[in-house]
Amino acid sequence: MDLRVKNHPILGKDEREEMVTIEVDGKAVSAYEGEPIAVALLASGRRVLRRTRKRKEPRGVFCAIGQCTDCIMTVNGVPNIRTCVTPVEKRMKVETQEGLGRWKESKRTKRKISSSVDVRR
Amino acid sequence: MEGIETNEKKNILICRCEEVTKGEIEEAIEAGADTLDSIKRATRAGMGLCQRRSCQMLIARIIREKTGKSMEEIYPATFRPPFRPITLDTIAREGERLFGTGKK
Repeated sequence: MDLRVKNHPILGKDEREEMVTIEVDGKAVSAYEGEPIAVALLASGRRVLRRTRKRKEPRGVFCAIGQCTDCIMTVNGVPNIRTCVTPVEKRMKVETQEGLGRWKESKRTKRKISSSVDVRR
Repeated sequence: MEGIETNEKKNILICRCEEVTKGEIEEAIEAGADTLDSIKRATRAGMGLCQRRSCQMLIARIIREKTGKSMEEIYPATFRPPFRPITLDTIAREGERLFGTGKK
């Protein structure tokens, strides 16, 4: 299933060709490099991105502009990454997060994420 | 019927990060918390990851409706930087850049 708009009335035809693979909860999902992680997941038919801390309720994309933090997931071992404003990179590892998640990554991946997520946006 | 409706409204989620409902905020106002900051201290509404970006206008409106205060009296609350979520790692790096690491 692919929910992407292939022919947009204003933006025109989607001419991207090459896709990369990211790992989402252990499963391979194909995505365009550079598109937001949340977009890749929505396009693959997935709407629940995390569960809340208190009520364990499902959450997904809400504001889609990096304000509300509802779409946070654990990316390359770093929790609380706003997937709606974080671009897909090759071989990214994305995991569903419950509550505020946990840290469990190497220093290298941590640096990589913190620089791409926090400085540019 | 009216009772049910009121109950449902009480369960509306206002602060999505800390999962605080309209009812909880109204209770806090009844208990005397009538500013954005005092409601934050009483209920944690606005203390979550998004730092009240999603809920402060909603809370301000509830205060206005419950207390009759004007919006100018309620909003904005004290706002502290950073304005975007950043990690302590980033702040530490900026410190390194500005002041050096101590290595010579």
